[in-house]
Amino acid sequence: MEEKRPLILIVDDVALNRTLLSDVLCDKYDILEAKNGNEALLLLREKTSEISLVLLDMVMPKKDGMEVLAIMNKNGWINEIPVIMISVENSHSLIEGAYSLGVTDFIGRPFDEMILLNRVSNTIRLYAKQKHLSDLVLSQIYEKTRNNSMMVTMLSHIVEFRNGESGMHVLHINTITEMLLHELLHRSKKYKINKDDIGIISTASSMHDIGKITIPDEILNKPGKLTPEEFNIMKGHSLNGSLMLNSVPFGKDEPLMKYAYEICRWHHERYDGRGYPDGLKGDEIPIAAQIVSIADVYDALTSERCYKKAFTHEKALEMIHNNECGVFNPLLLDCLDAIADKLVASLQTFDWNKQADKDFFYIADTMIKDQKHPIYNQAFRQFINERKKSNFFESMLNDIIFEYTYSPSIMKLSTNAAKKLNLPKTIIEDEKKGSLNIENDNWQKIKEVLYKQSSSKDETIHVNMDLTIDGNKVPCKVIVLQIWNKTQNEPPVLTSAYGHIEVLH
Amino acid sequence: MTLSELYSSLGESLNEVLERLRMESRIAKYLKLFLSDPSFEELKNAFASQDAKTAFRAAHTLKGVAANLGLNKLSASSSELTEDLRPLAFTVNSQALFDKVEADYIAAVEGIKQLE
Repeated sequence: MEEKRPLILIVDDVALNRTLLSDVLCDKYDILEAKNGNEALLLLREKTSEISLVLLDMVMPKKDGMEVLAIMNKNGWINEIPVIMISVENSHSLIEGAYSLGVTDFIGRPFDEMILLNRVSNTIRLYAKQKHLSDLVLSQIYEKTRNNSMMVTMLSHIVEFRNGESGMHVLHINTITEMLLHELLHRSKKYKINKDDIGIISTASSMHDIGKITIPDEILNKPGKLTPEEFNIMKGHSLNGSLMLNSVPFGKDEPLMKYAYEICRWHHERYDGRGYPDGLKGDEIPIAAQIVSIADVYDALTSERCYKKAFTHEKALEMIHNNECGVFNPLLLDCLDAIADKLVASLQTFDWNKQADKDFFYIADTMIKDQKHPIYNQAFRQFINERKKSNFFESMLNDIIFEYTYSPSIMKLSTNAAKKLNLPKTIIEDEKKGSLNIENDNWQKIKEVLYKQSSSKDETIHVNMDLTIDGNKVPCKVIVLQIWNKTQNEPPVLTSAYGHIEVLH
Repeated sequence: MTLSELYSSLGESLNEVLERLRMESRIAKYLKLFLSDPSFEELKNAFASQDAKTAFRAAHTLKGVAANLGLNKLSASSSELTEDLRPLAFTVNSQALFDKVEADYIAAVEGIKQLE
């Protein structure tokens, strides 16, 4: 494969200086040029993962080199993109300031072509190596998690197939469990589970019925009603599943094992204490098992089985609420109601690849927060943010949508949005001025929403307001999803926002 | 006038520039570009409008550009002016320092214009 030529961003306000540099470098490198700090930041934001090196001038109008460096630090770009500062500046304190903001090297003017070329190629090589290693680790993790999810899925399907079922059941439980957990965490801090547990509990939910391999075929697949003796044997599957897990000689302290055990053993307990095998009551039943229990019942009701037809979503919800198939934690019933609409859509459009990727994202999320080995992989962060973004936009086609970055302040509107709101497609603001560059009522109002603070949890903000659409003032609903960057030891930083405007009639 | 004659007429050394930038053709190209560089014009206007901040930046730029092209006299006088303006205010010396920059700039520009 042919090596791709590294891309270098040259930032200098003087055309002659840019030419001087690009003449020297263009034999070996692709060149991007920026006339000032603002332009540089725009290019850095758009091509973060493509730019291999920045050659930065210190003194420029519209954001000088130091300001660019400060923003590169704030956004974490400096950890990934090396910067060589080139300046005629020889004040010791300014050069020291540049180093403290993370420049890799400082080259004074007039520079020697040979020295410049060598420093550039050395710096790019060093960073490329580091990036290659970090990419390698990430792709390995990605492969591994996918394979792990596939293993768990395959094993749990074996159990399901014996049951004469499609195997979709396990995947559905997975999805429902995950959605219920998200909703529960959103509503209550009562239980000792956090975001990192969601992926693990969803994976563990796949194993809820592994105990069924101990149940004889004639009972498991009997089309008619089970006799009391048969039903007793059938009930053994939850205890048997947990005993099987208990006899695994290792991994006792692993969260996955712990949750799988709880789920296997107690997913047929009832909130009123009349379930099996242990007759646990209320929150004596671990929350993971409570959640899988409700997910299991919902999916059983809405699927066809050898002994019953499928009920509709509405009917299933009604039966669950009327305690016709068990008694559940009222808080979880609220959660189920809250996700009800989304649930139908998610189960209908189920995609295993998406599901497998999810596990990776949970790991990725944890890795980003890792104190000892934080990942500075911009491509990777973008990947995660892109995902959040596409989830948000999935249902909003051909609408008024926009995308905003906070630092530097850049607004990008969809073609439709720009037309309807009478705004340019891209709005770049000079932070220093602090004032708005654009005199437009719509823009002022949208900005107010953008700067409303959500609780740093990637939540959406809904605001109703009058906007001027196609020249007419009409009531609108503005929905904004704020994306926070969480770095260790520091408060979360608001990095970007995605928005949608709905015209209310 | 040849490149070498230009540099010696300005009291500078072509060899020093060649060592850094390698090719005579390239140096000639940059010198031509230098004629259209607005830094000096900006500096002059900044003095006229008493804008010390812009003057500082323009002097700073001129210092760098001149240094790259081996116009060391111009670079040196610009450097003195840059340091004088660094607090972003004009001093009693500023005008005299500017006059020196202007003389060096005009000398360089006149010479470059006569290049073959």
